[in-house]
Amino acid sequence: MPNLCSMIPTQKPKSTYLNQVGESYKTRLRGLSTYGILLAFIAICIVLALITPRFLTISNLTIVLTQVSINALLAFGVTFVIITGGIDLSIGSMVAVTGVVAAMFAHPDTYPVGVPLLMGLLTGLLFGAFNGLVITRSKVHPFIVTLGTMTMGRGLALILSKGRPISNLSDEFNFIGGGQVLGIPMPIIILIVFFIICSVLLQKTVLGRYMYAVGGNEQAARASGISLNKVKMVVYTLCGGLAGLAGIVLTSRITTGQPNAGAGFELDAIAAAIIGGTSTSGGTGTMTGTLIGALLIGVISNGLDLLNVTSYYQQVVMGIIIIGAVVLDSWNQNRNK
Amino acid sequence: MMKSVTLLSSLVFMAILHMGCNQGSSSEQGQNSEGKKLVVGATMLSMQNEFIVNVADEMEKKANESNVELIVVDAERSPLKQVEQVESFIAQKVDAIILNPCEVEASSPAVTKAMAAKIPIINVNSATSAKPTAFVGSDDVESGRIAMKYIAEKLGGKGNVVMMHGLMGQAAQIQREQGAQEILKQYPNMKLLAHQTAGWDRAKGMALMENWIQSYGNQINAVFAQNDEMGMGAVKALTDAGLKNKVIVVSIDAIPDALQAVKKGTLDATVFQNAQQQGSKAIETAIRIAKGESYEKETLIPFQLVTKENLAKFLN
Amino acid sequence: MTQPPTPILQVRDLSKSFAGVKALDNVQLNVQRGEVHAVMGENGAGKSTLMKILIGLHTPDAGEVMFERSPLPYGDVHEILKRGISMIHQELQVVPELTVAQNIFLGRETTGGLFSWLNDRRQEREAGLLLEQMGVTIRPGQTMKYLSVAEMQMVEIAKAISNQAKIIIMDEPTSALSDKEVAALFRIISELKKNGVAIIYISHKMEEIFEIADTITVLRDGQYIDTQPAANLNRNSLIAMMVGREIESLFPESVPRKGQEVLSVRNLSRAGKFTDINFTVHEGEVLGLAGLMGAGRTEIARAIFGLDELESGEIYIKGQKADIHSPQDAIQHGIGYVSEDRKALGFIPGLSVKHNITLASLPNHSKGGLIQDKTETEAAAKMIADLKIKSAGMHQKVTYLSGGNQQKVVIGKVLLASPDLIILDEPTRGIDIGAKSEIYKLINRLTASGIAVIMISSELPEIIGMSDRVVVLSQGRQTATLSKEEATPETIMAYAMHA
Repeated sequence: MPNLCSMIPTQKPKSTYLNQVGESYKTRLRGLSTYGILLAFIAICIVLALITPRFLTISNLTIVLTQVSINALLAFGVTFVIITGGIDLSIGSMVAVTGVVAAMFAHPDTYPVGVPLLMGLLTGLLFGAFNGLVITRSKVHPFIVTLGTMTMGRGLALILSKGRPISNLSDEFNFIGGGQVLGIPMPIIILIVFFIICSVLLQKTVLGRYMYAVGGNEQAARASGISLNKVKMVVYTLCGGLAGLAGIVLTSRITTGQPNAGAGFELDAIAAAIIGGTSTSGGTGTMTGTLIGALLIGVISNGLDLLNVTSYYQQVVMGIIIIGAVVLDSWNQNRNK
Repeated sequence: MMKSVTLLSSLVFMAILHMGCNQGSSSEQGQNSEGKKLVVGATMLSMQNEFIVNVADEMEKKANESNVELIVVDAERSPLKQVEQVESFIAQKVDAIILNPCEVEASSPAVTKAMAAKIPIINVNSATSAKPTAFVGSDDVESGRIAMKYIAEKLGGKGNVVMMHGLMGQAAQIQREQGAQEILKQYPNMKLLAHQTAGWDRAKGMALMENWIQSYGNQINAVFAQNDEMGMGAVKALTDAGLKNKVIVVSIDAIPDALQAVKKGTLDATVFQNAQQQGSKAIETAIRIAKGESYEKETLIPFQLVTKENLAKFLN
Repeated sequence: MTQPPTPILQVRDLSKSFAGVKALDNVQLNVQRGEVHAVMGENGAGKSTLMKILIGLHTPDAGEVMFERSPLPYGDVHEILKRGISMIHQELQVVPELTVAQNIFLGRETTGGLFSWLNDRRQEREAGLLLEQMGVTIRPGQTMKYLSVAEMQMVEIAKAISNQAKIIIMDEPTSALSDKEVAALFRIISELKKNGVAIIYISHKMEEIFEIADTITVLRDGQYIDTQPAANLNRNSLIAMMVGREIESLFPESVPRKGQEVLSVRNLSRAGKFTDINFTVHEGEVLGLAGLMGAGRTEIARAIFGLDELESGEIYIKGQKADIHSPQDAIQHGIGYVSEDRKALGFIPGLSVKHNITLASLPNHSKGGLIQDKTETEAAAKMIADLKIKSAGMHQKVTYLSGGNQQKVVIGKVLLASPDLIILDEPTRGIDIGAKSEIYKLINRLTASGIAVIMISSELPEIIGMSDRVVVLSQGRQTATLSKEEATPETIMAYAMHA
C-alpha cells in the first residue's frame, strides 16, 4: 500500500489536504451509531410528514427547534462530561437554581438585563465547578457526587424562591426565550451559536482532544502529560455553564423562575447524547450526534402530540428509542474490539 | 479552588439577601413553652407545590395564634415516607395529626395507624380510602365542573375544547377530569378535540399548546388546564401565536401569577381553592378534637370561580 | 515406510478475508497428538486470524478444519472449548476480583446447590493440587489481582489443563515470564506432550522455538509457506522463510557518542519496590536496566516519569535538581516514557493514529488552544514516515493496528514531545522480528541525534546487543553497573540472581 505520508514532500499540500478531508469524512461516516441515528431521524421525519401534513411546515419545524433548544443545550454540556467518562445528574436541578437566580434579578426596572444573565450563568458555572471539585478531590464516582448535588440544587432552588415561582420579569429578559430576530426565535439562535461553539471546542481545540483522551484511556492520557483533574474540572464547569444558559432560556420562555423546573431534564439530555452516539464508557461522541439525538427526541414528542397519541405511549416509544440507541452503541463497541 | 466555593456561597448569600429586601422578612415562630401546650404534627404532600405551601403557611399562622406547637414535615410526594412520618408522630405522642395525603390508597395506612393509636387524624385537602377522624378540604370534582361550565357558557354551549391533564393517575387529575367530563356530557355540541398530560408543568404546558396549535390551528375555541401552571403555559403559547384573543383559557388554583393574568385579561378565569381556609380550619378542627370539644366530621370549603369581575376580592 | 498417524487437527485450504483484505489464503496446518507445533510468521502473517478460527472467534470463508476427524463447529466458542481446544492469550483473560481457584474453574463450577462455600473449598483443593503438579507456588485462595503477570499466566495454563484440553494454543506465553518461569513452563509443556496433548506455540523468540518446538509451520502475508521438522531448520533459515530474506545482523552496529550527562538519579527509594538506586545517563548513550521479573525495573521507570511518587532520593536533569510529581512535570523536563503495557498506558484505542501521535505534544501544534490542523497533520505524517508506521491511513483508530505498529505509534507520540531522555520499557515485547529490528535501528538513530535512552528488557540478547552500559537489579536493589565489555549473559544473570 502506498504510504500517504511519504508523499508529503513531493506533493503540494493542497491535494494532501483534500485527501485528508476525504478520508476523515469517510471515517466519520464509519462511526455507525451517528450515521445510523441520522438515518433513523430522517426516516422518522419522512414517516411523520406522510402521516400528518401539519408536520412538515415551517411554523411547526420552528416550534420543534425552539422546544428542542433547552434539552440540546443541556445535552451539549453532558456530552462533554460523558466523553471524559463521567456523568452529570445535577443538570436538571441546575436549570432550576440558575433560573431562579436569574429571575430574582430580572424584575422590571431593577437591573439591566445583563445582570440576570450574568448571575444565571455564573451560578451554573460555579455549581458545575463545585461538582468538578468534589469529583476530582474525593475520587468518588461522578454518579454519586452529582446525585448528591442534584438534590442539593433542588433544595437550593426552593430555599432561594421560598418554594414559589418568581414571576413579573422584565420584557428585555423575556426576549431571550420568547423574542425573535429576523423572524427566528431567540432560543433557536442561541442553540445554533452554542452548537457551533461546542463543536469547535470539542473538535478543534487541545481541550477537546484531551476530553477524548481522558475518556478513551485515563491512564494513557495521564502518561501523555494530560492533567486529569484540570480536564475534569473544565468539563463539569462547562456543563454547569450550559445548564445555566438552559435555565435562563427556560425561565425567559415561561416568563417565571420556577424552583421545580427542570425535574427529569437530566435524563432527556443524557438520552439525547447517548442516542447521538456518545458512548457511556467514554472516549467517543460528537456534538452533531447529540444535536441529532435531541432533535429526534423533540420530533417524536412533537409528532406524537400532533397525532394526539396518549402520553403513556409516548413514554413507551421514547424508552424503546433509548434502549435501541444503547444497543446500537454496544454492538458498535463489540464490533470495534 | 477555595475561591470558587467562597464565590458560590457569597452568591447564594447575595441572592438570599436580595430576596429578603423584596419581600420582607418572614415571620418567626416565637413560642414560649409554658403550661400544657398542644402539639400537632402535620405531614404535607409536597412543599414544592405552591398551594400546599400556602396551606402550610396558614396552618402555622393559625397555630401561632392559638398557641399550639405545630410540627410540619414534607412527604416529598412519597406515600411511604408519609406513613413513616405519621409513625414518628405517633411515637412522639402528639395530640393530633394533620395529614395532607400523597395518595388515596397508599397513604391510608397512616390513617389506620393513627386511629389504632387513638390519636385523632385530620385529612386536609384530599381524601384517603381509610376514614380519618375528620376531613377538611374541597371536592376536586367540583373545581372541574366549575371550570368547564364557565367555558361552556362562554362558548354558548358549542365549540372545540382541548384539555391539559396533570400527572396521570393522581387524585386531583382524576377528579378534575371527572368534573370536566360531566359538564361536557351535558353539552352535546361541545367537542373534546384533544387531551394530553403536561405534568402540572408550565414549560410542558407551553410546548403542548404549541404542538396543538400546529395540529388544530384555528379550530380550538377553548383550553381547560387542570392547574394554573399549565394554563399559564398555554396562555404564553397562544399569545406568541397571536391567537389568545380567539381562544378561552381556564385553569384551576388561583395562584398569584394566574390572578395577575386574569387581571391583564390573558387568562379568562381560574378557580380558587381556598388554601387559607383549608389551613386554618384544619388547625381549628385539630384543636377542638384534642380538647374534646364538638367538631365537624367533614368541612367542605367551596371553590370559587375567579374572573375579571370578581378579581378584586382575591387580590391582596 | 510407516504411515504417520492421522493428525488430531487438520486445516485444509483455509481462507478468510476482512473487508476485502485476505488475512488467510489457502492455509494448511496439520498438528499431531503430543507434539509442540510452532506457528511462525511476522505480524500480519495471519497467525492470530488462524488461531481465532480454531477457537471459534471467527468463521472461515473457505476451506475446512477437521478436529479429531470431525468438522470443527465454526464460531461456537463454548462447544470448541468443550471438545478440547484451549487458548492461552497473550493478553491474559482473567477475572481480577475472583480467586485463583475460581478463575481456574470459571464457567465449569462444580455445582453443589446452596452451599457454594463448600464448593469453593473443594475447588481450592483441586486447584492447589494442579498448581502443585505444575511446580508453581500460588495460593489457590489468593485474589487474582494481587498476582504478578507471570503468576496469572500460570493460572491460565492451569485452567486449560484442568479443562482437559487436547490442544492448547499458547500465544507468546513467555513474553512476561522470567527465565526461571520459562523453564517451569517448558517442563509443564513436556509433561503435557507425554500425555498426548498437542501444543500450538506462537512466539517471536527464536531460542525458545528451537528449544521446544518439534515442528514449525511458517506463514507469510496470510499465505502458507512451509512445514518442517524443527531439527531441519536453523535460526537463519527460519528467519529467511519468515521474512523472505536473510537478516544478517539483528543488532545494528552503532558508534557510541557519549556526551553531556542528561539524567542522574541518587538514592531513589520506594518502599517495597526499590531502594538506593543510583545511575547516570548521558547524551547518545543506551543504559540497559536488566533484572528478573519483579526486580523493580518498571517501578523505577514509573517513578522517574512521575507516574508514582518517590519516597526518597533525588533526580537531576542536566545537573539541575528536578521536582517530578506527575508525567506532565516529567515531559516538561524532557523525559519520555514508553510503557511495557502499551494497552493500559500507551495509547488511546478510540483515537486515530494521528491524534495519538500528537497527544503528548498537542500544545506545540496549537495556537491559543485551537489545534492547527496543518501543523498537526504534518508532524504526524513525518513521524509516521520516519517510523514506517503501517496503517490504513492516519485516521485509522490505533486499536485496529498490529502490536508492532501500536508500539511505534506510542514511540512516535513520545518522540514528538522532543525528549532529551527516553525510557523504553520492554520496547519489543510481543512484536515480530522485522519490527524488532526496526526498533533497534530507531534506538541507534535516537542516540546518534544525542538523545539518551534507558532500555528495560527481559531479553538478555537485546540488553547486551543494545546497551552501552547495563545496570543490573535484583529484588529492588542495584547489584551491578556493567560496561559494554563486562556485560556478558553470564555476568548479568549472576548479578540478577544475586540475593
